[in-house]
Amino acid sequence: MNCKDCWEKLDRYVDRELTDAELYEVKRHLQDCPHCEDLYRLQLNLRRVVKVCCDQGVAPEHLRSRLRQILF
Amino acid sequence: MVLVAEHAADTDQRDRFAGEAIGHLDTLYRGALRLTRDPARAEDLVQDTYVRALRYQNSYQAGTNMKAWLFAIMRNLFWDRFKGGRPEDVSLDGDGQFALYDTLRDPSAMPEADVLDRIAAEEVVKAVEQLPELHREVVLLVDVEGFAYKEAAEVLGVPIGTVMSRLHRARRQLQKLLYDYARESGIVHSKGDEA
Repeated sequence: MNCKDCWEKLDRYVDRELTDAELYEVKRHLQDCPHCEDLYRLQLNLRRVVKVCCDQGVAPEHLRSRLRQILF
Repeated sequence: MVLVAEHAADTDQRDRFAGEAIGHLDTLYRGALRLTRDPARAEDLVQDTYVRALRYQNSYQAGTNMKAWLFAIMRNLFWDRFKGGRPEDVSLDGDGQFALYDTLRDPSAMPEADVLDRIAAEEVVKAVEQLPELHREVVLLVDVEGFAYKEAAEVLGVPIGTVMSRLHRARRQLQKLLYDYARESGIVHSKGDEA
């Protein structure tokens, strides 16, 4: 696997969407290629940071009560 | 007597459905906020989502992914209400090619992974909200909500390949937005600045 092949699979690698065979290939390439390893860390961190930052806050209480009246 | 029993069973079923649905309220509200970028609109969107969910509750199969089902209702409402129709015809995806190869051929141009940790949460949210809606919604589904590509594809009503290409583009845009912000705000200096 070359770097271009690896980069094309990085999203799916980060998202755990690769087949076992693909996973093995990417893992092996990352062990040998510091640049792709850096790119992988960046992708992984981006996903984590987006998740943490966007997953905050709760619905306002008045909305919750209104919905309870509608639903129950 | 039979009628009373049937009524009780209906009420029971409705309560179960409502209980499960309201359990996703915070998640849906956060998603609505990111989509509409406006608290009042987000509330309206969420309320309308629940009203519609209640109306079509028979089409929900118990035991399947209710969060995905509710998200599908919400994003369809979002496009109908605020964007004047479903986006399937919008040609934003281009050829779906992976252009990362071109942009990151130069290793010195790549930010360090930990730069992202030094950016304030609200700036990250702002960057997500700057993405075009078609890209933003796929980031919400996959990155924030943790949907598998297949589930995201079902929510959006598009093929998995479309999910992948939108996600890829969205992440590249995010990377750029956040790195530009980090540079502008002095969190990181580009290598050229040091000379």
